[in-house]
Amino acid sequence: MRKTTHWIVTLAAAAMLAACAGQKEPATQAIQKAEAALAEVRADAAQFAPDNLAGVESTLAGLKDNLAKGDYKAVLAGVGGLTSGIAALKDSAAAGKSAMEAAVAAASAEWSNMSGDLPKMVEAIGSRIGTLSKSKKLPKNIDQASFDSAKSGFEMMQSTWSEATTAAASGNVMDAVAKAKMIKDKGAEVMQMLNMSAG
Amino acid sequence: MAVDEKPAAGDDNPYAQYYTVKKGDTLSKIAEEFYGDKMLYPQIFEANRDQLKDPNKIKVGQKLRIP
Repeated sequence: MRKTTHWIVTLAAAAMLAACAGQKEPATQAIQKAEAALAEVRADAAQFAPDNLAGVESTLAGLKDNLAKGDYKAVLAGVGGLTSGIAALKDSAAAGKSAMEAAVAAASAEWSNMSGDLPKMVEAIGSRIGTLSKSKKLPKNIDQASFDSAKSGFEMMQSTWSEATTAAASGNVMDAVAKAKMIKDKGAEVMQMLNMSAG
Repeated sequence: MAVDEKPAAGDDNPYAQYYTVKKGDTLSKIAEEFYGDKMLYPQIFEANRDQLKDPNKIKVGQKLRIP
């Protein structure tokens, strides 16, 4: 009786080992396939869906850990979720990339307008500051403090404009537009200080 | 002193400032108003050479650019 039990246990263990060994190959292939799919979207995902990417990477790491431990059943059970996660990640990255491209296109159009408009604002303000600097006294509606603020504001506009054009030239149109908006706001402020009417 | 906020048609700088001449105005008076110094009237004259031949002759209703 004891001998029979021993054989049953041995056969059961062998059957389990055979079953496990049979799952190793599909589990390994599933992980390799998932890694390959993830590699295809990783660059875009890192840029446009970093949080989703972190989640998928974490799931993959867990399954690889199971694979290393020989828990092929857990790998095969979890790989479906990982595959879905990668597919969702691909969609998120594509949507993010598309939104970014639309934003860059909008910024490019905005920059095109601003890069034509702002030099005129700078020119008008510069001309007025130049003339007022030659005046023996300021007009009654501009005090010295306002004029000094206007001059420093104008210097800020010039330096920021230089930065904006450099950003645009290097392809960073979003940054260029952000700087151009700062210049426009500062310009409106300076024009008010100089009692210049905005067109 | 009234200031025209909109640029004259044809001017390509929307930030330029304009002033419409009123009765009794002179370029010196306008310069003093905008610059605080009547001796700076040539700045206004030079900016409006397209319509002014003589700094002493300006007409009521003329729209002058104030540089």
